Amino acid sequence: MKAQKKVLLEITVIIAAAAVFGFVYTFITNQGFFAEKDGHDTSTGSNLEMISLENAKELFDSQEALFIDSRHNFDYNRGHIHGAINIGLDSIKTAGAVLETIPKEKIFVIYCDGVECNSSIELAAELNGLNFKNIKIFFGGWQEWKKNNYPIDYQ
Amino acid sequence: MEKEQLSHRLSVKSILTNTVLIFFIRLTLGVIFVISSLDKIADPDAFTLSILNYKVIGFGLATATATILPPLELICGLGLILGIYPRSSAFLITAMLVIFTIMVISALIRGLDISCGCFSQNPDAEKIGYLKILENSGMIIMGIWLLCIRDYGVAFIRLFRQKK
Repeated sequence: MKAQKKVLLEITVIIAAAAVFGFVYTFITNQGFFAEKDGHDTSTGSNLEMISLENAKELFDSQEALFIDSRHNFDYNRGHIHGAINIGLDSIKTAGAVLETIPKEKIFVIYCDGVECNSSIELAAELNGLNFKNIKIFFGGWQEWKKNNYPIDYQ
Repeated sequence: MEKEQLSHRLSVKSILTNTVLIFFIRLTLGVIFVISSLDKIADPDAFTLSILNYKVIGFGLATATATILPPLELICGLGLILGIYPRSSAFLITAMLVIFTIMVISALIRGLDISCGCFSQNPDAEKIGYLKILENSGMIIMGIWLLCIRDYGVAFIRLFRQKK
């Protein structure tokens, strides 16, 4: 019983140390939770980047980026970010002709419904595989954009 | 006959409790976990994406996991190598391996073609597969082995203490 208590205490100490290390490290390096709060881009070590709402809005205002809505066509038609095109995961193959006309260096901002969906990541990975160099994933997605009353379109 | 059985049991036990073998297992698991933690610590956001690819948890929980899990791997790996809290480190490493394996099996069942995110966060690196399950199973056996013994052999931390 005493030995079990000792192990339990040690496990608690290890997990606490890992949590402190992790949060201090990400705070110092502006990554993870702290990257979003500060509005910095967060590199993913590949061609993909996760960006915050502020970064997405900056790119929107500068008109440098092409916004891609990765949701289903039905959701896209009910409302989407102004100027965004719809490439759902199921339509990536049929979108080949459109993608061929876009320069590989073009900045893409991909979003889906919000933080709970992953189709933006999957589409980003697909486009990364097609050698597009500047892919950014706006994780807050449609819900965060709409909540802030930023420009939207209906179709 | 009984003597033979007894000597056989003793020889199996002596292999399982062999301090050199246990030290080798500690080093193997420890080094694997330290190495696997480094890329994740360097880029926690890429690791968040790797976790999200498994489609099991949402963004917030994935970010929290990517913040805490890599240092946990590092501390447990160093714990096994140096002999600091070896039993607790072995327990946590075994628990992590079981969870990782369940995640890989679940992703394979759902037909996900994703990278493991185990050692490198490059999306093209090391896709999940049955080999990964086999690797993890081997490490789980090593982890359980460490949990079943009492003497963990050399504790490097004691060597440092003695020098002082």
